[in-house]
Amino acid sequence: MTHSTPDTENPSFTLVITGAPYSSQAPQTALGFARATVAAGHTIDRIFLYGDGVHLASALVTAPSDETHWPKQWAAFLEEHEVPGVACIASALRRGLVDSDEQKRYQLNANNLLTPFAIAGLGEWVEGSIKSTRTIYFHAGA
Amino acid sequence: MGMLIIIDQSPYGTWAGREALDMAFALAAFDQPVSLLFSGAGVNWLRKAQNTADIEQKSLEKNLAAAPIFGIEAILADRTACQRYNLDSEAMIDGVQLTNANADLLAQYSQTAFAG
Repeated sequence: MTHSTPDTENPSFTLVITGAPYSSQAPQTALGFARATVAAGHTIDRIFLYGDGVHLASALVTAPSDETHWPKQWAAFLEEHEVPGVACIASALRRGLVDSDEQKRYQLNANNLLTPFAIAGLGEWVEGSIKSTRTIYFHAGA
Repeated sequence: MGMLIIIDQSPYGTWAGREALDMAFALAAFDQPVSLLFSGAGVNWLRKAQNTADIEQKSLEKNLAAAPIFGIEAILADRTACQRYNLDSEAMIDGVQLTNANADLLAQYSQTAFAG
């Protein structure tokens, strides 16, 4: 892996979300940050979901109709701005989030990864933290 | 420079610290400089002879012992937290450096990340 010098003239961000939707505010705070970042003309290199944050990428999340559907909001943002959204594979498998490849590999009877999220390893986070000017973490809080 | 990963949560009862340790190992696997700082209840990771049989979890002591082999540069422990949890150097695993978790320490790193 090559090390690129972060461009401070045109800052870019990797966002790491470790708090789950509906049990923490992390995904919605991160989305507010992401929208402001794009509005300011900066770049988001990628979103990395880690720990309980992987629940944001579940296609089975069903929010009451009068509540914001954070996974869909995030999915729409990622598609509109062509930002990759990656869920850590180790966190995902432990928490019951699988794509069709993992469904086959583990012979499970369903998959539930929301488009356009992808499942990949921590290398994606490492690469993001090298490439981006800043890596910002959104935790569940106390 | 490099990244400092701060583990401030106790070793068992939450997965946050384990996942932070995995992050440190991932950085080291990609030849990125990384150190670990244990602070607050996190210093309990550093106790020798952890027996986890009764809670059906793998002991984290072995994972942590592998840190230097995998290329993690330093394992640091906040001196004040060690005193608070009555953890002296004899009760601690080998290779831990005592430090003061303050702004001067953080300034030595280009990035920091907290467990959790």
